[in-house]
Amino acid sequence: MNLQDFLLMRHELLLVIFAAIILLAEIFTGENKNGIRNLSVILFSIITVAGFFPVPEGSLFGGMYKTDLLRVTVKNILNIGVLIVFIQSYSWLKFDENKNKISEYFTLLVSTLIGMNFMISSGDFLMFYLGLELATIPIAALAAYEIYKNRSAEAGVKLILSSALSSGVMLYGISMLYGATGSIYFDEVAPMVVKNAMIALSFIFFFAGMAFKISIVPFHLWTADVYEGAPINITSYLSVISKGAAVFILMIILFTVFRSIIFLWQEVIYVTAVLTMTIGNLFAIRQQNLKRFLAFSSISQAGFILLGVIGGNQIGMSSVIYYILVYIFSNLGAFGVVAAIANVTGKENIDDYNGLYLTNPKLSLTMMLALFSLAGIPPVAGFFGKFFLFIAAAQQGFYILVLIAVVNAIISLYYYLLVVKAMFLNKSENPIKYFKSDWMTRIGLLICILGIVAVGFASGIFEHLNFLSFGIN
Amino acid sequence: MNSEFLILFFGVGVFLVGFAIVFAYFIAPRSSTPQKFEPYECGIPTKGITWLQFNVGYYLFAILFLIFDVEAVFVFPWAVVMKDMGMIAFVEIVIFFFILILGLGYAWKKHALVWE
Repeated sequence: MNLQDFLLMRHELLLVIFAAIILLAEIFTGENKNGIRNLSVILFSIITVAGFFPVPEGSLFGGMYKTDLLRVTVKNILNIGVLIVFIQSYSWLKFDENKNKISEYFTLLVSTLIGMNFMISSGDFLMFYLGLELATIPIAALAAYEIYKNRSAEAGVKLILSSALSSGVMLYGISMLYGATGSIYFDEVAPMVVKNAMIALSFIFFFAGMAFKISIVPFHLWTADVYEGAPINITSYLSVISKGAAVFILMIILFTVFRSIIFLWQEVIYVTAVLTMTIGNLFAIRQQNLKRFLAFSSISQAGFILLGVIGGNQIGMSSVIYYILVYIFSNLGAFGVVAAIANVTGKENIDDYNGLYLTNPKLSLTMMLALFSLAGIPPVAGFFGKFFLFIAAAQQGFYILVLIAVVNAIISLYYYLLVVKAMFLNKSENPIKYFKSDWMTRIGLLICILGIVAVGFASGIFEHLNFLSFGIN
Repeated sequence: MNSEFLILFFGVGVFLVGFAIVFAYFIAPRSSTPQKFEPYECGIPTKGITWLQFNVGYYLFAILFLIFDVEAVFVFPWAVVMKDMGMIAFVEIVIFFFILILGLGYAWKKHALVWE
């Protein structure tokens, strides 16, 4: 290894250094940890910017670690998302009960990001699995961050139990794949994957394990409880960043390792996509708690994302990455507003938002924009994201699936608009009082608004992603 | 699809587990003394309440011990190849130890090493 090789894994190394600096700061500071918050946000902004400098492509450790422009782009997208999460959690960390755990928050969160980066860059199943575990276990600790609250502790336990089960199932699938092909390297496994029962079974197990992480129906049951119990900032992280990373690597593995049994996994994804969209939507309609509401909405969004995966074509891959980018901005925008209001008032039910527009017009407008983007209403970025996903599926002839997706998009419009209606039309006896959110929260929401508006209009982004992506053929 | 192997796989799996259970059912001696129904069957009936609280300090020490125990395992293969790899191996193990010591320092700072 020389210096050039280290540059290849720049994202991961920078994050490791970041975590080490935070730990050092924790060890050498006294009682007052507020400085660590500022340090983390500043350092992470630098890391995010540093990620955009061009790097050579290549592989390390005998092919275990691969990097190319596509993977670097996805890592940069995730970095942006994590930066927004950090900015949004700035004022939440100021609370008395969180004050002594500030550095743990940053170290654990960055550890999961390191895991995701290794997972994205993995060239074999071992690195993939290590990255996945590193990305999952610290999140359970983060979900139980407010350990004195029963719900938060429950979320942590549920998350670690369900992820342990899913990891076990997935490892079983990987071990069968190893038994059938005799290798764990993606490049070596791919040509040996043929259509037989052993491979099919290993794929099913592998897919079930990944479906747990992405919360695809019928493996979604942990999602709502964990999302409701965990602190809002962790929930937003869980629903956006870790889901995005898992979807991306699932797509890469389907497109490379399992490319010769595409007709098998297309059927599996067809069924799960329809189930995920429909069930996520139907459950979301009945939710009163906004965190639960957004949890079910994120389940149905995962179903829409599968539409880009199913075709196995180039435009599908680019539209999935594009959708992840759009989804980061819109979902973090929605969660940002929920967090800002919950931090001040502690209210997180839809009924509490009645008449919000009269008292807090700016927050209402931000929420409206984010929900419009999630629903896919034309001028904002979410529309283009969904549009490209539909194109990708339609290009391969999945017309009925696209039709089901469109119907589901309309259903989702109904419950997103319920929240908008509560904010703008419903009258309330005692609405949430006017309050000024602090400037860090405002910056976080401003970045989200900019993203929601700008990503839709900057057509260069999709073309760039499409240039980097690859299809099966 | 050649599913013979799969059927064989399932068949052997079901057979092995089922055989073990059935075989044990027939040959195992049975006894139904009161001790048999104790949660921890060690021959002696428990005395007093078993729902005791125990010091969480044990748990912390066990975790810390486990971490350093496992890390020590990584040092052995390093020691074998150290001479062949030369300076790079040395630098890498220094980084490894640095991260390890960082964890120890953190535990120290958080008073995990104080026995209360």
